[in-house]
Amino acid sequence: MDIFGSFSLLLAFLAAVYAFVAGIIGIVTRRTSLTKSARNAGMAVFGLVTLAVASLEYFFFTDNFTMAYVAEHSNHALPLFYKFAALWSGQEGSLLFWSWLLSIYAFSALFLNRKKHPELMPYVGVTLAGVQTFFLTLNNFVATPFSVMGSAGANGVLHVARLSEGNGLNPLLQYPEMVIHPPMLYLGYTGFTIPFAFALAALLGRYPGEKWIHITRRWTMVAWCFQTVGILLGAHWAYAVLGWGGYWAWDPVENASLLPWITGTAFLHSVMMQEKRGMMKVWNVWLVFVTFMLSILGTLLTRSGVISSVHAFAQSGIGTWFVSFLAIILAVCLWAWWKNRDYLRSDNQLDSLVSRESSFLFNNLVLLAACFAVLWGTLFPVLSEWFTRSKISVGPPFFNKVNVPIALFLLLLTGVGPLLAWRKTSIDALRRNFAWPLAGGIVCGIFAFIFGFRDIYALICLILSVFVTLTILAEFYRGARVIAARDHTNLLSAVGDLTMRNTRRYGGYVIHLGMVLIFVGIAGSAFNKDVQMDMAPGQSLSIGSYTILCQNFDEVANENYQSERATLEVFRNGHSQMMLYPQRRFYLASQVTETMVAVQSSPLRDLYVVYAGRNPDTGKPVIHAYLNPLVKWIWFGGIVVVLGTGLAMMPNRRAAIVLKPVQEKAWGNAIGSPSPVVAPRSGSHD
Amino acid sequence: MIRPILRKGAAFLWLSAVLLVAAILLLPFLPSARAQQSDRAKEIGQKLMCVCGCNQILTACNHIGCKYSHTMLQELDQLVTRNESDDLILQAFVQEYGPTVLAEPPTKGFDWAAWIVPIAVPIIALFLVWEVVRRWRHRASLAPAGGPPISPELLARAHREAEKDSDD
Repeated sequence: MDIFGSFSLLLAFLAAVYAFVAGIIGIVTRRTSLTKSARNAGMAVFGLVTLAVASLEYFFFTDNFTMAYVAEHSNHALPLFYKFAALWSGQEGSLLFWSWLLSIYAFSALFLNRKKHPELMPYVGVTLAGVQTFFLTLNNFVATPFSVMGSAGANGVLHVARLSEGNGLNPLLQYPEMVIHPPMLYLGYTGFTIPFAFALAALLGRYPGEKWIHITRRWTMVAWCFQTVGILLGAHWAYAVLGWGGYWAWDPVENASLLPWITGTAFLHSVMMQEKRGMMKVWNVWLVFVTFMLSILGTLLTRSGVISSVHAFAQSGIGTWFVSFLAIILAVCLWAWWKNRDYLRSDNQLDSLVSRESSFLFNNLVLLAACFAVLWGTLFPVLSEWFTRSKISVGPPFFNKVNVPIALFLLLLTGVGPLLAWRKTSIDALRRNFAWPLAGGIVCGIFAFIFGFRDIYALICLILSVFVTLTILAEFYRGARVIAARDHTNLLSAVGDLTMRNTRRYGGYVIHLGMVLIFVGIAGSAFNKDVQMDMAPGQSLSIGSYTILCQNFDEVANENYQSERATLEVFRNGHSQMMLYPQRRFYLASQVTETMVAVQSSPLRDLYVVYAGRNPDTGKPVIHAYLNPLVKWIWFGGIVVVLGTGLAMMPNRRAAIVLKPVQEKAWGNAIGSPSPVVAPRSGSHD
Repeated sequence: MIRPILRKGAAFLWLSAVLLVAAILLLPFLPSARAQQSDRAKEIGQKLMCVCGCNQILTACNHIGCKYSHTMLQELDQLVTRNESDDLILQAFVQEYGPTVLAEPPTKGFDWAAWIVPIAVPIIALFLVWEVVRRWRHRASLAPAGGPPISPELLARAHREAEKDSDD
């Protein structure tokens, strides 16, 4: 079975190489049969990598500890759920998983467009095959997941060794979200390959028209949505598992996931300039290129050990491969752009600084500033070590100081941008659109200040959040009011109608609303409280309006772990509210101890309790309690963002025009057939 | 000659005994090793990194079995109790654990760049965008109107007719 898996992987590599080489020859010689053959080989990669993945999963489910990767990342007692997820828990398996997701995307793109865009798709196929060849090279020759435990005997024959038990899965990964979080993030990372392939293909093939930009935008939205979900699930996992009371620590690996997300966001905004006005073509192409390169850079940071991180895989020499690949991509992009730069000439110019176009320009500038600041902070320890030969740290305080003002400015633009008209906005229109939302924001800010909001950033965030929310609601209201008056329907159904007529625009507003919720949730962290105490049974600690009474400490065990557990009764304003059971688990196979946090979550605040072990000096159990306001808003905002993205990807509802039956007198009793005619209405994109 | 020495020794013993009793009596009132940190200690703890390699700030590191954070927090509490200034406390940590213990890059030498560049680059980018926009607008104002080219004769006739219309 190990031969079956590795053989499938080798065949996949050969198919990818064939798709790449035959594709190029087909394009150069204009032989359609060869480009079709290359496309079929590209699609076959999906089937072959799927077989390899299935083979590795089979080894996990059958506890085959002759396989080095299985022995390293699983054990008999590991629940089936986690045996499935163990596939991506190590370097080799996660790279195979990456190749598999990439092959799914490539198959989808090639299959869905097999009868469309005959001038574009051969280039797309070649680009995808090139990227697949790189990852399959790693899978086959650099980090193979199908290594067998064994040693060569005296006669050169391999003696296979079978361990009776594996090392088990890293306890930090034994959490339900870790089964979902990496696939989501990888779907985001790998998904950015498709827009990259279409953009490069359009540039190389000088594909006429703007069709490629529509395709690129859709695929970017898919990848962006997965990346958003992946980042938020990662944040939730960090919050619920790592036990330090926060969800984002500006860790290099966290930052690496944020970088392509930011440039992807910039592209999704600036692409509208190209669609509506034929502007910013060079900018858009480079945003797509950079987003893909940042995905690869993120993988490099996670896997190479260049930068230390708790989330990173073990240090390895794989970084050189990624650096070389990045250099090749950059060279290809530069060459393609330089060769075809006249193809990207703008059709229009900017008419006014107070316009939707300029707001998109600023939006892009701010997003790229944020991206640069994060990248700079992440790589600065390496730069500093190169120049000064001395190591320094760039921790959360630096990132917060640099990025919080940028993020707030971005929030402001979220409210301002959509209300500006294309080409030019009059002063009257500005006053009409912004007066009430701005007044609402300021009034809320004054009330918040009176009620004790003293953190300046949190206060500005609140004012801007109210302002943005009101501008969005006003947009819905204005449109729905017109429809309600015209169709004599109620306002709620008019909102639904309005949204479905221009899903992209109103889906975008829903995404903005979700982002506002996330911002409010993050602003809540300015009011976090925490208390740590050595607690014996019968002792209590107070935090905010809560009192936590320690009732008992006991031990629980199963075949996977042993656990020390605190039994805590939570009182609020003197009334018993609930019981919480924070734990400290010792995983038997990996011999590692981890915390299991107990969280009581409500829309206004989270009571987050960690059993931090016993104090070595007093021997007493240490309880660390946090009161984190508004954290739930972040997760809820994430759901709203995903719903908004789904809405924005839906096709617009077309207006149905039903013709009335008309009696035609000239033909006696003949009556015109009441055939309903559906008149397609061109989707008015934002 | 012996008596004074004995007297000195006895005095030393007495002093030691008093200090010991005082220490025992004061022990319950002294902060325990992991007792609640003061606000100031928490604030300074936010400026320090745990050196265990977890990339967390000192007050956030809660790795079970972390060999550093417990000791570092104890040291921090002691320095705060001694009422040392923030700078001295941070300097003491740098001397003991190296510059990686600081959560932010120092504002001197090459490390200044960590702070300057993220501010300078957006400003330069803003300037460039501004310049591009200015050129776009300039080009837009100079761009000829669309449509077929107009001959000078036709233009002159249009002027004549316009003048005639306005006279009427």
